[in-house]
Amino acid sequence: MKTIAVVQIALLIIISGAGVGMLVYTDVYDEIHDTIVSTLCLSCIKLDPVSRLDFVFETANDKPHPEFVLKNLTTGPIFIEYRTDVCAACDDMAPIVKEIFHVSFEKTDTLYKLVDYNGSTVHFYHINLDHATQEQEDSFPIYDKDHRQGVPMFVIITVKYHRGIIEPCYTAAYGTVGQATEEGRKQLLEDMIDDGLNLYEQNKAGYKYP
Amino acid sequence: MNLRFKRLISQVFFLFFTNLGFKIENVFPGIKTGFCYPLFLCHACPAATSACPLRAIEIGVFKGNWNWRFILWPILIVSFVGVVTGRAICGWACPIGLLQRVTGKVPQKLKKKYPVLKKIGQLRIEPFFRYIKYILFLGLVVIIPIYIGFMFTDVCPIGFLVGTIPISVLDPGGFTPNEFYYIALTIFVLFIILIFIIERGWCRYFCPIGAMFAPFNKISIYYINVNKDECVHCNACSLVCPMAIDIPNMNRDPECILCGKCIDKCPKNVISFERSI
Repeated sequence: MKTIAVVQIALLIIISGAGVGMLVYTDVYDEIHDTIVSTLCLSCIKLDPVSRLDFVFETANDKPHPEFVLKNLTTGPIFIEYRTDVCAACDDMAPIVKEIFHVSFEKTDTLYKLVDYNGSTVHFYHINLDHATQEQEDSFPIYDKDHRQGVPMFVIITVKYHRGIIEPCYTAAYGTVGQATEEGRKQLLEDMIDDGLNLYEQNKAGYKYP
Repeated sequence: MNLRFKRLISQVFFLFFTNLGFKIENVFPGIKTGFCYPLFLCHACPAATSACPLRAIEIGVFKGNWNWRFILWPILIVSFVGVVTGRAICGWACPIGLLQRVTGKVPQKLKKKYPVLKKIGQLRIEPFFRYIKYILFLGLVVIIPIYIGFMFTDVCPIGFLVGTIPISVLDPGGFTPNEFYYIALTIFVLFIILIFIIERGWCRYFCPIGAMFAPFNKISIYYINVNKDECVHCNACSLVCPMAIDIPNMNRDPECILCGKCIDKCPKNVISFERSI
């Protein structure tokens, strides 16, 4: 047998073995599926989603609000920043979020903190989807209002009058929130939080934890 | 059925097969997998079924946070296909190859009309231009992401073609250009000009996936063989080669995309597909 044929057979065995091994013994297939194929890559499309900051009641995937949200809504609105380990726009936005809420965290952290925002209480969550609990991970599609499936995603959940009762409602912004400058990004996030807080102050008396 | 037609069927089949991810409400859920394409197509395309191997590698090395699974998985997929077929995937499966096949007649006509374009291919430094794709692969896909951050995907013209344009059309007003948009648009325009003035210009000089596949031509199971003893050096093969290879003197050339145009053209039938196992 020619040397090249031996090399070819050896390579095929090594490559196939390693490939099948990775498929069977690692999560690479699911990781690639979840983090690349099923997620809108803002870097690849060279576009930022336009943030439409209207508050909606219907969750994005029609599933109920998670327990940690419903419970915390009794004491204040909830701000959630979703990110992943590898996310260039998340790295750009993280310092702005830290500055707004006076919090510190590493990008791989998943953090919950009750913070003071201009004298009001806000439940702050920094959720890294690569390290989140199942409940936190499941909350991402619930609040993916515009079905972008991309990170970073910023969500404020508050309460508002709806069909005779006070119900949770939310809005979401994505990527660099459609703003070119750091000031613009900070301003948009602050506007979003202010709107959420105003709604909360107006309607909190009527909210009942189910 | 001649090779030209067989290749067209194969390219159309792969174009369809690689774009089954498109979701149609209540009709077709869309197929999204966890594989990487062994060809050039962007997962940002709304119809994409798999991931771009370059993006997976970029994520794997991003800012020195080594994720060996994201590095090894695309390399294994490309290597497997490479060992079996060499760079045939570029000629027989890649949708960007199909696009350049469609535009390929234009550079052929322009070359006849404007001799200066013919001279580009005859420049003594032209073979060195072919190393650009290896530099792009190592520089923009591997080294820059390690030290700075994403770069190739931010400016990739294929991402612009199959991602940016369809998404802008499907969701008008839903997105706004980011900081790389106009750079990427410029590169995309240059890409379009390139494929209209140089046949397979992208594959020859710039394709990083082609750079990944090229070394496998040296050891692939399938390859194109020239019977040098019977070759009369008429150069009919070289004249039709879309990759502008000196075919009579070729020996498992890394640039060969196994399109088989030379086989169809050879008047002496001394060029053939070979299988070494």
